[in-house]
Amino acid sequence: MDPSALSSPEMQQFLNQEKERAMLNEMVSKLTVKCWDKCITGTPGSKFSSSESACLSNCAQRYMDMNLIIMKRFQSMQ
Amino acid sequence: MDSFSTGSSGAGSHQMSQSEFMEQMKLQLAQAYAQEFVETLREKCFDKCITKPGSSLSGSESSCISRCVDRYIEASGIVGRALFKQ
Repeated sequence: MDPSALSSPEMQQFLNQEKERAMLNEMVSKLTVKCWDKCITGTPGSKFSSSESACLSNCAQRYMDMNLIIMKRFQSMQ
Repeated sequence: MDSFSTGSSGAGSHQMSQSEFMEQMKLQLAQAYAQEFVETLREKCFDKCITKPGSSLSGSESSCISRCVDRYIEASGIVGRALFKQ
């Protein structure tokens, strides 16, 4: 592959797509670590209880809410 | 930057096409993601299931590890869905 191919439109699109995938992946894995620690306090069972799965889902959504507040606060300081 | 080439050293190596490069990169990324995930599984399930390391792995510890792996994968799915359904 010619090095100039790195700046081709298809390559740029590919790299952007992979970059986005990597960011989403990192976010899901970070949040899974955090929410696992918060919500799964006992020994893992053969099935999640309804409160455990609700906690995981709430945990991820509240993180996004928090993110929004932090972004707003931070922007108002600029 | 030098161009990417495939294959072992020597005269037989050929230049990688753009699509080969993309395929290679996807494959390598997928491997890296999987490795990182397994590392997290090791960390989390060790903390949960091997609380007092004994002279050998007990049956309850190994079944705890299996359940922990299954639940962690499930947890990651729940978190992913919660993030993207909004």
